[in-house]
Amino acid sequence: MPLDTSTYSLAHLRVDGRRWNELRRVHGQISTQAAADGSSYFEMGNTKIICTIAGPQEQRRGGNSGQSHDAKVEVEIGIAGFSGVDRKRRGRNDKRIQEMQHAIASAFTHTLFTHLYPHSTITIHLHVLSQDGALLAACINAATLALIDAGIPMSDYTAACTTGSTASYASNDEAADPLLDLNSMEEQELPFLTLGTSGGDDQVSLLIMETRVQATRLEAMVSVGLDGCRQIRSLLDGIVRAHGKKVLEARVT
Amino acid sequence: MPREADPSTNEQAFLLSALRENIRLDGRALDAYRPISLSFGEDYGTADVRIGKTRVRATISADVVTPFVDRKFDGVFTISTELSPMASPAFEVGRQDQTEILLSRILEKTVRRSGALDTESLCIVAGQKCFHIRADIHVMDHDGNLVDASCLALIAALLHFRRPDVEIKGEEVTVFSVREREPVKLAMQHQPFCVTTSCYEEGTILLHDATLLEEQCREGDVLISMNKFGEICQIAKYGGAPMDGLSILTCTNTVLERVKIFDQLVKDRIAEDEKRRDVGGLIAELSAENDR
Amino acid sequence: MAITILAPAPPPAPAHNRRVSTDDEDDLDIDDLPSGHATHSTNIITPGQTVTDDVQWMRGHGTFAEADSTAIRSTLAGTLQKTNKLLSIVPLRARYTPEIGDLVIGRIVEVQSRRWKVDVAAPLLANLLLSSINLPGGILRKRTSVDELNIRSFFGEGELLVAEVQSLFQDGSASLHTRSLKYGKLRNGYFMAVSGMGGGSGVVRAKRQIFTMQTARGGEVDVLLGVNGYIWIAKHVEEEQETVGINRLEETASAKMYSSQNDEISLETRREISKIAGCIRALVDGGVKVEEERIRWAYDANLELDETEGETEYLGGERGKAIVEIVLGGG
Repeated sequence: MPLDTSTYSLAHLRVDGRRWNELRRVHGQISTQAAADGSSYFEMGNTKIICTIAGPQEQRRGGNSGQSHDAKVEVEIGIAGFSGVDRKRRGRNDKRIQEMQHAIASAFTHTLFTHLYPHSTITIHLHVLSQDGALLAACINAATLALIDAGIPMSDYTAACTTGSTASYASNDEAADPLLDLNSMEEQELPFLTLGTSGGDDQVSLLIMETRVQATRLEAMVSVGLDGCRQIRSLLDGIVRAHGKKVLEARVT
Repeated sequence: MPREADPSTNEQAFLLSALRENIRLDGRALDAYRPISLSFGEDYGTADVRIGKTRVRATISADVVTPFVDRKFDGVFTISTELSPMASPAFEVGRQDQTEILLSRILEKTVRRSGALDTESLCIVAGQKCFHIRADIHVMDHDGNLVDASCLALIAALLHFRRPDVEIKGEEVTVFSVREREPVKLAMQHQPFCVTTSCYEEGTILLHDATLLEEQCREGDVLISMNKFGEICQIAKYGGAPMDGLSILTCTNTVLERVKIFDQLVKDRIAEDEKRRDVGGLIAELSAENDR
Repeated sequence: MAITILAPAPPPAPAHNRRVSTDDEDDLDIDDLPSGHATHSTNIITPGQTVTDDVQWMRGHGTFAEADSTAIRSTLAGTLQKTNKLLSIVPLRARYTPEIGDLVIGRIVEVQSRRWKVDVAAPLLANLLLSSINLPGGILRKRTSVDELNIRSFFGEGELLVAEVQSLFQDGSASLHTRSLKYGKLRNGYFMAVSGMGGGSGVVRAKRQIFTMQTARGGEVDVLLGVNGYIWIAKHVEEEQETVGINRLEETASAKMYSSQNDEISLETRREISKIAGCIRALVDGGVKVEEERIRWAYDANLELDETEGETEYLGGERGKAIVEIVLGGG
């Protein structure tokens, strides 16, 4: 079903009633799974993800142990069959998923203090329960929360969001507006990118764009994305603080 | 698994300290490429790219298949990559390596998703017959910068390739062999090229065309695919050291310059090749002289 | 914990305001904070937050400083702890990190030629050397190659033991020893795991980690609280004290020491063991740290509740909350 983008220019409201610079509802919970070393549940709109962390723990034998003196970050993404609109079985060998796993693992390898855990492995398991756009971004945010819960030292939050542009690449529309946090209908229709930052000072640690777009429009998209990441970061911070407060209250009384 | 050993500590330190003074081990400028050679095979659709010691061969083939049910008016276009132990002892046969997955994903995004090849032109009879264009990328030697080399080879091979001509008369479809009728070129909508930028020292030093050693020492990389019209087809920065938002934007400008050079290079080589094949072709036919 | 379905919430408050408020908390009351191990500030510090940029402080665990600045920033979500001039962040929850002298409960995962690899819930497996266990026939006996061949007769894969962290290796992994009669193989009981040190709940380092509880009906029950969060609750077995002489004691002890055979345990004792386990679980679920006194209180509280409200087997849910309330009320 093609997305009707023509109405956007009239009211400057998107299909779900948001303005161009508004995020969807972000909700997160920490320590949801008792058995894991760290866990979180994260929602960005209708994209819902459970993340669990195993480790740091000793590398399984047979791996290339002894190669590195830093902890290795591994990511496994499981996309539930019921998560999308059409029920589709995705194998573990889907290249798109493997690419996402690689992106998340290498993003966190740099922000985590892996040198504190030599010869060990930190495994991030991501379970996608529902997808409605910004899948990679939501995975990264969920993993950040779960890693904080696991008490693994990191230099800063890694926060991610998506940005798009209202006009498709074919029309060379100078007046095209950047959009923040696309849902899946918008993602199918419009060019978009996923941006991840670590730290408050606009350091881009991850940037993935898969659609064709005029280079001139990149700047607006990135700057809106940086702003979105700042918002996400403060939302994550709020979630962590609220959780911490709850834990401390239980401890003090 | 035979993972390649990391370069020794003093090699790394030497390379990095040289880079801090803007010197590369092979004396190139930071944004310079190694000498690029592009040659075509005897058959249509075979391109051989060498960037320094890295060598990639792309082969295009076509056959007639039934189109996918959900895409009746489109032909099929697949890209397959193969990293054999020939390229580097780190690669194994039959096991998907991280490098291979990323390579095939980048090519997929750069060429297929950006619509470089007009798949609708590959349709013969809607819903019944279409061409299946298959691109095989073989890495023959690996000395860094595989992605750029593979992308260049793929685009050059696609431009060079000719598919068999077809004729539709009512219900009847004839596919002519190369001898019967001159094969036709593929309909390309644009030619995207991928340029890898490697970054060092917290994103302050940026290089193009890293060698294998430089790749092993880098902190992060940004893969940007663009065409000469300044359209970005794909950006992939998978984690690694964080970079300024602004320096990514400036990256795209240098990438555009490089893409224009690639585009010209491919165009020149294609023209040369056509001229070579055309010896005694049209000119000879037009000439009134007879060899007697 | 189950996923809760929440009613639609109003849109989040503008992020900028929130950011400002956290910035205000940035410069914490470090000077007012009492120094010492037991006290933490109640302020939450989150990763990347600047703790202080005053050069007088030294940075400890859970903090880092960027190369070109003196600001101490946190790497964890937790609370600030001050030890004289050293600032460290205590995480809300973290995996157990071994320290010398910790009493831990572990599980053998691998038997090597002269050592065992032991899972103690730490980032790396701990080592237990053949030379750091009590060999049968007296502590002072020399380790022989026969012992190496019979290594599985002491500990085999999957067996549990209680040990002490003897030393730490460079990479942070622990080396254990069981050279005391109170350490060794575990049997006659029940194993449970809660999160270890540093967590919001879990086992704390205390003066006494091993104690015996007199239960209402099942006789004496031993409780072993491993600092790593592993807990062993077992029937108390009286050691035969009448034999005198150090060498004799060693021999009698060692004969049983490496046996994997459980003794006969009466139904009553089993029930009491499971009750104590239920109490501990209720404490952990209620976010209470586990230590000897609190377990005793919880057990007594449960006995009282048994009388007033009738006996139940399951100590979770409402009963668990009631137990936690009584314990927090001061026993």
